[in-house]
Amino acid sequence: MSVFRLFRFRRLSIRLLVILLGLIFAALATTQKLVSHYNDQTAREHAATNLDLGARVYQEAARQRIENLAGNASLMSGDYTVRQLLLKPEIDRQTLGSLLRSYTQRINSPVIALLDPKGDLLANSDETMANENVGPFQYLIEHAGDDPPETSGFSYLNGRLHVLVVVPLYAPIPHVAAWFGLAFPIDRAFAEKIKDISRLEVTFVSIDDVTRPRVLATTLDASAAGLVAQSVVANLRAPERIKTLDLPGGRYVTLFKPQDMLAEAPVTVVLQRPLSVELAAAREVENYIMLISLAALAVATLAALWIARGISQPVQQLAAHTRVVAAGDYATRLHLDRVDELGQLATAFNAMSEGLAERDRVRDLLDKNVSPEVAAQLMRDGGAALGGEEREVTILFSDLRGFTTLSEKLPPRELLTLLNRYLDRMSAAIEAHGGVIDKFIGDAIMALFGAPVAQSDAADRALAAALAMERALVGLNAELAAEGRPPLGIGVGVNTARVVAGNIGSHRRLNYSVIGDGVNVASRLESLTRTVAYRTNIVTSAATVAACRRTSSPPSGLLSPDSSLLIPTFRPLGPVRVKGRAEPVEIFAVG
Amino acid sequence: MSRLAALVCLGLLAWSRAVAASVDFKLVDARGHPVPDAVVSLVPLDPAAPATAASRRPVEIEQVKQEFLPYVTPVLVGTTVSFPNRDTEQHHVYSLSDAKKFEFPLYKPGMAEKVVFDRPGVVAIGCNVHDWMIAYVVVLETPLFAKSDDDGAARVADVPPGHYRAEVWQPRLDKPATREVTIAADSPAPLAFTLPLKRDLRIHRPVESGGGYK
Repeated sequence: MSVFRLFRFRRLSIRLLVILLGLIFAALATTQKLVSHYNDQTAREHAATNLDLGARVYQEAARQRIENLAGNASLMSGDYTVRQLLLKPEIDRQTLGSLLRSYTQRINSPVIALLDPKGDLLANSDETMANENVGPFQYLIEHAGDDPPETSGFSYLNGRLHVLVVVPLYAPIPHVAAWFGLAFPIDRAFAEKIKDISRLEVTFVSIDDVTRPRVLATTLDASAAGLVAQSVVANLRAPERIKTLDLPGGRYVTLFKPQDMLAEAPVTVVLQRPLSVELAAAREVENYIMLISLAALAVATLAALWIARGISQPVQQLAAHTRVVAAGDYATRLHLDRVDELGQLATAFNAMSEGLAERDRVRDLLDKNVSPEVAAQLMRDGGAALGGEEREVTILFSDLRGFTTLSEKLPPRELLTLLNRYLDRMSAAIEAHGGVIDKFIGDAIMALFGAPVAQSDAADRALAAALAMERALVGLNAELAAEGRPPLGIGVGVNTARVVAGNIGSHRRLNYSVIGDGVNVASRLESLTRTVAYRTNIVTSAATVAACRRTSSPPSGLLSPDSSLLIPTFRPLGPVRVKGRAEPVEIFAVG
Repeated sequence: MSRLAALVCLGLLAWSRAVAASVDFKLVDARGHPVPDAVVSLVPLDPAAPATAASRRPVEIEQVKQEFLPYVTPVLVGTTVSFPNRDTEQHHVYSLSDAKKFEFPLYKPGMAEKVVFDRPGVVAIGCNVHDWMIAYVVVLETPLFAKSDDDGAARVADVPPGHYRAEVWQPRLDKPATREVTIAADSPAPLAFTLPLKRDLRIHRPVESGGGYK
């Protein structure tokens, strides 16, 4: 979870950027890693091939030396002087030795010995050597074949590794009269020569004593050669033809080639090639790839930024536009010049704005033609709830007294203005108490309490509204007096009854209203206010009074803050026969 | 008395000739091919018979067309061998063999140097100028010897009956082949030898040069 939290960004563009760059970086890094790994492997393989070639160069160099020596020895064996010296019944070893020393200069062989056919030393160019330390020559002579009798091998002479050759002195061919033993040392010069040809580091290691391997000759420096010698011992335990060694000079691909010896302690030829040399070309390629990768990453960054901007900018525009719409501005349109999903979203947004504006217009119209509560109910339920239901409703009827006289005195236009002024005040008083204007019938008003929205204190509200209307009219009359007009009078009837509430009308034009006996009673009660004996402008029924007393708490909530609740008082007026009803109705004057 | 002695001697000689036998050798190599140039000899294991004077006849090894001729020469110890140069160029005949070391430095055509081979053994003779030239003188202590011909056959005549070691030497043998034999007075069966010959290691010369071997 916490990992995912890391990838929660406040801005979409940054998230997009991070994801895109992350993926590209991962791909590039993987590529780089793979290329590097492959190059490394190739370099190793290449180095191994070079090492194998180097091993052949080494063998060839040794073979050529041997061949040279053998050829030179053959020429020597035909030398008249040697034969002259060998002809004597008693061989003059001193002269023969000095002759061999002159041969060493002629044929560039550091060691030349002359042995009789049985292998006994006759003379030697190196006076320090006696019969005891020419064993390797004797070994070669012993194992020489007939055809060709030249034999060669690796061995130690005076403690140093040499390549040895024995060549017969014929007298005549194929009669062997003596043997020439020739040797050249495996020394640094030889190692350097192989290095010159093969470009490999060459080290000869003797492992006669495993605890103390001995470097016989090397092209490396002493410390590196020591490590190589140790590695030869290690390689004895876990033999591997080719290994990678870490030496002070770097990593070396290393080939171990055991050198056949003449029945003596083994010698290993170690050929090495620095991995860095082998990798030089590959590293250059890798550097180029790295540069290209970085360039690609930079381009990708710009591209990702551009893409992120392309997404986040319109999203921000949408967000800003949402705030505009939330603020109630449905007229402004969002212009995104795109055909993609965001463009579709903008189009949908504009459609939504248009829808909202349309709804507002409808609501506006409804508000003017229908009471806000009915309008709200219609908006909420789409009129479905207004199908018709029986419920208890308090119905208020009001009428303007002396309107007929007034209509005769005033021109119609002024009359309408005056009527609207009056209706406006009355409507305000009714709506302030949560009443709903059902309809205006000329100068009469029919209002409902408890429909379409049920109200527990509908009766209280209706009576309070009636009192408020009375008071409002006092205010209006004061204004009219100031204008020099006669005052207006009012009559209000309030009744509470179970009626049917719903949409009434044709399928083209509907009116939310209530019908039932209770409505007629309310209208009759209003008419009763004309009865002078009652001395009241407001008449209500026992049902309303009962409903009013039922409610324990005074009405609240829906009242506007400035209108204080008017508590009605009731004065019984006795039972009255109401037209169209069999039972007499108990009525009260409200004050 | 001296006549008598001479007669006795003659008689003895006649007897000995009458009882002496000829011994035939038949030599083949491992593949059954006849082996020429082999020296066969019979070394008496009984008290030695007196050598005949004829055995020490002087022998000649000539140089013709830059070759020694013959290739193999068996001689009795003490035999003198002359080396006439019948070529048009000089030779430098030498031997480094222990049995006889000698040389004739730059030895002109027409010359005929002589060497007495006074120690038994095999003497390999070469020429310092021409590496391919080689000859062997096999110096023997017994007069009973012969050299095999191209058919691998050799006959040792006048062999007194007795107990012998038969020896066969050939340049291509590592060591002589030997066998102990008893020779009876009557004509004995031929001695057959199968010889383990090595490859011929002599230098090949083109045949058109006039010399060489096949």
